[in-house]
Amino acid sequence: MTGLLTHRRAPDEPGAGSGTGSGAHGAGLLARAALRRDRVLVAVWLVVLTGLVYASAAATPGLYPDERSRIEAAEALTSSAAVVALYGPITDPTSLGELAMTKLTVLYAVAVAVLGLVLVRRHTRTEEERGLTELLGSTAIGPSAPLAAAVGLAWGVSVVVGVLAAVADVAGGLPLAGSLLFGASWAGMGLVGAGLGAVTCQLSASSRTAAGLASGALGVLYALRVAADVGPAPLAFLGWLSPFGWQTRLQAWSDPRPWVLLLHLGTAVGLVVLAVVLRRRRDLGSGLLAERPGAAEAGASLSGVVGLTWHQHRSALAWWTVAVAGWGMLLGAITPGVGDLLDTDAGRTMLQALGGEGALQDALVSAVLALVGVGIGAWAVVVVARAGADERSGRTEALLSTATARGRLVGVTVVLALAGSAWLLLVAGCGLALGGAVAGATLSGSVWWAGLAYLPAVAVVTGLAVLLWALSPGWAPGGWAVLVGCLLLDLLADLLDLPSGISELSPYAHVAAVPVQTVDPLSSLVLALVAAALLGVAWVRLLTRDIG
Amino acid sequence: MRDVSETALHVQGLVKSFGRSRALDGLDLEVAAGEVHGFLGPNGAGKSTTLRCLLGLLRADAGNVQVLGLDPWRDTVPLHRRLAYVPGDVTLWPRLTGGETIDLLLRLRGVVPAPGRRAELLERFALDPTKRAGTYSKGNRQKVALVAAFAADVDLLLLDEPTSGLDPLMEHEFGVCLAEHAARGTAVLLSSHILAEVEHLAQRVTIVRDGRTVLSGSLEDLRGLRRTRVRARISGTSEGLAGLAGLGGLGGLAGVHDLVVGAPGADAGGAAPEVEVTLAVEPEALPGVLAALAAAGVHGIECGPPSLEQLFLDQYRVSS
Repeated sequence: MTGLLTHRRAPDEPGAGSGTGSGAHGAGLLARAALRRDRVLVAVWLVVLTGLVYASAAATPGLYPDERSRIEAAEALTSSAAVVALYGPITDPTSLGELAMTKLTVLYAVAVAVLGLVLVRRHTRTEEERGLTELLGSTAIGPSAPLAAAVGLAWGVSVVVGVLAAVADVAGGLPLAGSLLFGASWAGMGLVGAGLGAVTCQLSASSRTAAGLASGALGVLYALRVAADVGPAPLAFLGWLSPFGWQTRLQAWSDPRPWVLLLHLGTAVGLVVLAVVLRRRRDLGSGLLAERPGAAEAGASLSGVVGLTWHQHRSALAWWTVAVAGWGMLLGAITPGVGDLLDTDAGRTMLQALGGEGALQDALVSAVLALVGVGIGAWAVVVVARAGADERSGRTEALLSTATARGRLVGVTVVLALAGSAWLLLVAGCGLALGGAVAGATLSGSVWWAGLAYLPAVAVVTGLAVLLWALSPGWAPGGWAVLVGCLLLDLLADLLDLPSGISELSPYAHVAAVPVQTVDPLSSLVLALVAAALLGVAWVRLLTRDIG
Repeated sequence: MRDVSETALHVQGLVKSFGRSRALDGLDLEVAAGEVHGFLGPNGAGKSTTLRCLLGLLRADAGNVQVLGLDPWRDTVPLHRRLAYVPGDVTLWPRLTGGETIDLLLRLRGVVPAPGRRAELLERFALDPTKRAGTYSKGNRQKVALVAAFAADVDLLLLDEPTSGLDPLMEHEFGVCLAEHAARGTAVLLSSHILAEVEHLAQRVTIVRDGRTVLSGSLEDLRGLRRTRVRARISGTSEGLAGLAGLGGLGGLAGVHDLVVGAPGADAGGAAPEVEVTLAVEPEALPGVLAALAAAGVHGIECGPPSLEQLFLDQYRVSS
């Protein structure tokens, strides 16, 4: 920490931006301060992303030892339009690296882009909204310094992600040249994501709206690539309009086109230049999209703490619903193609032993639900973290100085976390069932409500998050650490052959693999009781501790 | 309905620690019903912590706290129906408009504003209710909280440095609103380090420092206890002036403080030099001071009660 905030005077180089009034003087200092604040966030993302790359690279040679098995797997993957829509095409079916990185090349690259975007937003619009930039703007830093610092940080982290991904690939046994190109393509996605964040944060004065615009842009870019990859041939050019399309068109593993990386770089630089131009054209604290005037009087629904909480979360819940339903339907639509993956003599024998193709499709659904169950835990964490942020900002103080009982505020928060999660789990199951039905899958009827089996596990995560909030409002975001811990335990339990005593620390380890297995009422009850106990302790603490 | 003899606030020996730091260390505070009470102290004296204890947001470690006859920690909700609070640093829900926030806060308190009162206050405070709170300045956020607090009659107003973001015009409007509520019998606890504001609005004040009550009383009592400021212009001989500052003159009188004798002006015309003398004097020493000034050849004098500012400074000087 020593020296971090020590101002180092830049050498007086001739023409080093002095006196232009639009310089980025002080950006290095800000970037270092930002990195220090983000060290946990960045470290967690790096560990998770690198771990996923290494696990995928290391596991694939064992699954597909010879070229014939790889070709079969690749052809099975590309024969399903839904798989191609999700992961992108496989350009060389003989390539081990391409098969190993199928999910990571396009789909998981979204996470890298989001990382770049999140880092930029945190240190530009979010801080501007909170008034911190105003304070900084009064010091001897250039007006573009906060933007430059945020982009610099995000770009630096992106490059580190790329390097680590390449190292993880090589360590996992994949060829060096392909690993380097793959790593570079991930870094490129981070650069573009940061550029996208820089632009959207100039457009709106609200950081939430900026996040919405950026997510929408990512969605559109992903959809362009999907249309190019699975649509009719005349649409193929659309893939060149989307960074997600460039990921497979780079052909990192065989017959590579390294110049595609220049598209990432050029786009990222172009977006940042655009952001700087937009920044210069607006005032501090304002956006380029005009704020519409709102209602002068509150509607009837905004009448109490229930109405207020609902008002604060309803649009987020609507977006979650759309996203979960969309992913559910997409993954449901993939299920009919899964039988082709095992289209070998041994595979067919195994298939019969499992109970036919329907059972195999159910198995895929259960694997998807296991991940969706963890993902929907994020809803509960978001709700509880928001409650903690409200308390830290003083909004809870304003609320509790009215005739609002503390118990009611806590109760509403817990109910919204749990009921919202239950709703989303139901939506996920329905999406899978609907997508499967449309694509002609033969799933068991229980898929519609199978997601609800994960509710007790989500309740335990909620209980832990609320307990952290109860201990101290600043700890409420610790729910994210709980969730990441569960995810890592679930993902790494088999890969690292963890002892069951450790892997079963995750509440998700105690949920039956619905719809293949039936729900075990006893373990559900135990999870529910654990959640109730956690919430009970948190409740007592929240009703008796100081607020703020 | 309102019991006039009732004490709005009764705080005795209030102690509150955060970890090792003792924010409140035996604070006493007494506010009568219908009284506007100034709550004075420098930053970090424990004013906001006291207000949070009065609201039941913080739990007192020791001491007796009664607000409108209720225990704020146990009877939080019934108590909060009868009061309104304006925090020192108003944070609002960024996506709600000012108008929505005002209605929400009123509904959360379970009160219904008199017809037209809300619109009138919006007009008086020049607040646009259609803007989202995220775009409001500090002053405008404060206005939202003030309109919500003033829109309905309550028994007690707790105001934590309520005018720190307001311009002088709005500050005046705030004073008028406060006076209206006080006339209707609302007790007001007005925390501030802006002494002039309290001086105009409050009948009684309590001065706190380091979590302890330093002084409490009506403004008249406090002024009566303290000194008179005197500013005099004197023209006399150099010897006389020298004697004035010396032991034989003002400097030797008990009860004279802060004596400053200006340097004689170098008058080119050769007339008697003129100097300005300022001092603070306790009431019993006043005759001696006037006699000494008359002897020295006074030809202009201003006397006045000490401003709260001086009172405040004196108080700190004595206790530190």
